[in-house]
Formats: sequence, structure tokens, C-alpha cells
Amino acid sequence: MISIQQISKRFRLRGGKSWTKRTAPAHIQAVQAFSMEAPNGRITGLLGPNGAGKTTSLRMLGGLFPPDTGRIEVDGIEVAEQPRAALARMGILGDAHGLYPRLTARENIAYFARLQGMAPDAAQARIEALAELLDLRALLDRRSEGFSQGERMKTALARALVHDPANVVLDEPTNGLDVLATRALREVLRHLHSPAGGSKCIVFSSHIMQEVEQLCDHVIVMNHGRVVAEGSVPELLEQARATRFEDAFVRLAFHSEESHA
Amino acid sequence: MKALAASWRQFRIVLGKETVDALRDRRTLLRMMMPAVLMGPLVLFMISTLISSLEERAERREILAIGMDHAPTLRNYLERQTYTIKPAPADYEAQLRASRLLSPVLEVDAQFEDDLLHGKPAGVTIVSDSVNQRAQAGAAALRSALEGFQRERSLVAMALRGISPELLKPLDIAERDLASTQARATQLTGMVPMFIIMAVLYGALTAALDSTAGERERGSLEPLLMNPVPPMTLVAGKWGAVTLLGLAVALLSNLSFLSGQVLIRNDELQAMFHFGWIEVLRCFLLELPLACSMSALLMAVAIRTKTFKEAQTSSTLIMTLIGLAPMVTLMNPGAEAPWYFWVPGLGQNALMMLVLKGESLPLAKVLPSVLSGLGLTLLGLSLVAQSMRRAVAQ
Repeated sequence: MISIQQISKRFRLRGGKSWTKRTAPAHIQAVQAFSMEAPNGRITGLLGPNGAGKTTSLRMLGGLFPPDTGRIEVDGIEVAEQPRAALARMGILGDAHGLYPRLTARENIAYFARLQGMAPDAAQARIEALAELLDLRALLDRRSEGFSQGERMKTALARALVHDPANVVLDEPTNGLDVLATRALREVLRHLHSPAGGSKCIVFSSHIMQEVEQLCDHVIVMNHGRVVAEGSVPELLEQARATRFEDAFVRLAFHSEESHA
Repeated sequence: MKALAASWRQFRIVLGKETVDALRDRRTLLRMMMPAVLMGPLVLFMISTLISSLEERAERREILAIGMDHAPTLRNYLERQTYTIKPAPADYEAQLRASRLLSPVLEVDAQFEDDLLHGKPAGVTIVSDSVNQRAQAGAAALRSALEGFQRERSLVAMALRGISPELLKPLDIAERDLASTQARATQLTGMVPMFIIMAVLYGALTAALDSTAGERERGSLEPLLMNPVPPMTLVAGKWGAVTLLGLAVALLSNLSFLSGQVLIRNDELQAMFHFGWIEVLRCFLLELPLACSMSALLMAVAIRTKTFKEAQTSSTLIMTLIGLAPMVTLMNPGAEAPWYFWVPGLGQNALMMLVLKGESLPLAKVLPSVLSGLGLTLLGLSLVAQSMRRAVAQ
């Protein structure tokens, strides 16, 4: 279970530096009083246009940097206080998910398994199981150097899931994937959140409506660092008085902007 | 205690992965090892060939001269000193200037014999080129041969006038060279430590950049940091692998000087240059602080850059400064100042010179290099640990 309460983050803007003129540092409010509850056994979608603050929020969830205000809890553990205990309970497939090109897929996954504290034998057994689930078997002993976008993503996903975390966080995982790979990923996520897959808490961010519509039980629409709407897909349709989810999204994300302005 | 054990285990996992990763980069590894392995034999071969040719020239006792026919007395003297006199080529000036002629040329004035008979100073000129080093070396020998002639002439002249020759020699000059044979050899092998220091740096360079800036460029640093591992443990593991690589290349370079001795083409030098297993071991131990601190420093510089290429540019300064630090000894040859031992690169150079000279290594000289190495290592590692988080937060 992931619980985010009222987090905010402000970044100092870089660039445009001038040697002669001293300009006041510019800031950008990336996330503003963002809250989210993601219980176990549910796929929570984070939907928003590019630059809405999705990635920043998820990176704070991963403990890469602390929020300016607010708290983040993972299974009751506060990320700011016990970052390592919280990280052990999460599997995160972030925005950046580079692999080590000179290591095989198996070695890439095993490295993270070992860092998560798994014994070598347990790590190997888990890799075999994940290879089955993600259809990775043919890749396992190849160096990741020449992997396609989809193969790379699958390996990175296996790496994030290797310690069998109760909470799975995926930041725009379908970027650059073809139809088949996207469909396969969807199946895997459906399996993971079902009781057979361990009733995991899954947080999934995307800027593509169709994906969120097809996959998520609960959707949080974000723009300009704020939550602008929340609910299941039918609830959101009703809220926006639309029949197509795309219309609903545009109305919720961008029209609220006008009312804010 | 339990946390410490977990940290140690994670350190070993990171160390193992980074070492395997670096060793798999065959092309870089080869590019790094070739110079390290070949440098020793190549340098020793070249130095010894140069020395041999100098000695050979000195032993040949040849004098190139112009107008020697005007000076039969001088010719007689020089031939008694077992010199062979040869006519110089016609365009000797041009040849000397172009370093094609490697001996100085003696020009004898036309009225040399006449002047000598009449007790007037007889003129000779030594023609050399101060840029032409080998001719310059020969010029000193030629001058001393001519001074011998001068001394003999004046002694004979004085003796004929009934003056004791001893009056003409108020000084009895003797020379005693305090340098041991090994110390003399280091004049020639002084560049050996510099090559070894370079090997340490180049061995560590690629791994240091790849495990920091390379990791950022690939986008693998962010997922790595989202593992429950303390940042310092992560950094220490990476640093351990980088240091191991630097040391491995340094060891190869040490061994290359050991095996390169076979190629020394000069018997005397071969007898003097003493670089055995003990010296290899001592040099290797002295390089330890350097490898540790430079690995940490290179990583600290590289983590601040976003790409491998950018990191290469910013590491150039360190590579140049440390690699060329031994040059300082050229400005102040012979003596080593106490502060040398505190400076990475310079300190190791001075210490390895002591090893090559066969002198002892007092603690007062070794300790500063160890302390400064340790300090720089800790500083570099904490910088990397700090910057790593900041790097992904941008």
C-alpha cells in the first residue's frame, strides 16, 4: 500500500546564466499538494500530460530526493525516515531504466536481486520464474547490448520485480513499446494485481488515455503538479459528462486549468 | 554490527559486478594494457641504445679535423694519446647543424706550427652545435685532449728553463664520485617511475568514468540508487573495482620493466640497473596510495558530468597534472624537497627513485604519501556519494 499525503516540490531553474547580469533565480513548482492512496490489489493510474509532475512524484516515492513538504508512506514505512526499508518493499521501473550493456540479462537482474539482499540461489530461481512470466527466456543469457526497446523494458521490469515487492511502481512503462509488447505488459500487470499474482499494489503512470482506460481500476488525473480529478473510469466519464474517455481527460486536465487561471 | 555485515556483503556485490563489467570491455582493456606492457622494454631499449652509442663514440677516440697538416706537433701529441685523426667532411657545418654529424670538428689555423715555434698562442677552434647533444658531449672530450697538449707544452718549456714542474701544478686535484653504481644508473632510468605513474592513471581512468558518468549516460544510475544500499557502500564498491584495475595495470607496467631488462643493450647499464622482484614489490606497494586516491578523485570529477565524453574532458586536467608532476624534479634535479612526498604523483616518483637507487625507505618519507593518499581518497569518495544523489535529482 502506498500513501502519499500533500507532497510539494519546487525546483530551481537552471540555464540562461549571465555573467554580467545577476538575475533572480527562477523556480518551478513541479508538484503542489499532491495526495494519492494506492491500496493493495488495485492498479492505480496516474494520468497527465507531459510535465504534469508524474515523474517527479514517483521519483520522490523512490526516495531519490525528499519532498519539500508532505509525507510518503509505503506499507506504513515513511520513505524520508527509513528509505532503505521502504525501497525493499517497492519495485520501481523508473523513467530511466538503463541496463549494463556488457552484462547479460540474467546478470543485470541478478545484480539487483543481490543488492536487494537475496541469496544467489533464490535470485536464480526467481529469475527463472520471471523469465516465464515475462517471456524472457530467449534473452536471459544474451548481453543486453543489442536489445530492442521492448526487450530492454522487459529486462528492466524483471529487474524491478526480482525481489517480489508488494508494491510495484511503473513510470510510463509503455513508452517506445510496440502493440504486442504493450499488450503483454498489460497482461502481466493484470496478473500481478490479481489474488493469484499476489494482490500487489500497482501504480502506473502514463500520458496515454487508452492504456489507463484499459488497465486501471482507479485513475488520478494530474496537471501542473496537482490532482485535478480522481475516480474509476466510469466515474470520471460521468464527472466530465463525456462518453469518450479522451474527451473526459481533455476536459478534466485542461479545462480545470482555465478555471484555475 | 548486522548493518555492517550487510554493508560489507553489498560492497562485495558491487565490487564484483563492476570488476566483471570493466573486464568485459576487452577493447578498452587492451588499449590500456598495450602501452603498459610495452613501455618498459621500449624505454629501456631506447635509453640503453643511446648510452651505448655515446660510449662507443668516446671509446673510438676519433678526432675530426680540418687543416691538421698545419700542426704536425699537435698531431704527434694526439696520436701519442691513441687518438685517430680523420679529415672532417667538407660541409661539416651544415651537417652539425642538422645533427647528421655527431662529433665536433677541430679547425686548425694555417700558421699554427709557426705560432707555436715562436711562442705565440696558436689558434684552434672547436666547432660544435649546442643543440646537437652528441656533438656537444664530444666537444668536452676534445677540449680536455687539447688541454692535455697545452699542459705538456708548458711543462716542457718550463722544465727547459730549470723550473720544477711541480711549481706549475699548485693544485693536486683528485676526484671521488660518491654516487653508488645504482645511483648513477638512476640518472638514466629516472623516467621509469613516471611511466609507472601514468600506467596507474590510465588503468583507473576508463573504469572510473564508466562507473560514474557512464552510468548516468546509460540511465542506470537512477534504478541502481533505488536499491536499499547505503550510498557510501555503493560508491566504495565501485571505487574498489576502479582501484583494482589501476593497480593491475600498474603491476603489469612494473613487470614490463622487470622483463624489459633483457633488452638493455649495454653491459654496464645492465649491471647497474637493478629492478628485481623486491623492487617490483616495493614499487607496487608505493603505488597503492596513488591508485586509491586517483581512482576516488577521477570518480569525483566524472560524477559531476552527464556523459562519458564530458567526463573525459574534465578528467584531462587531473591526468596531466598528476602524470606530469614528476617533471618538477627536472627543475630541481637531485635534491628532493620534503613537500614532494605529500603531493600525489610527485611523492610516488620521489619514493620510487629511492627504490631504484637502492636506498632505504624511511618512514618519514613514506608516511606523507600514505596520509595524503588516504585523505584524498576519503574526500573523493564522500564527494561522489554526495554528487550521486544530486545527479539523479536533476
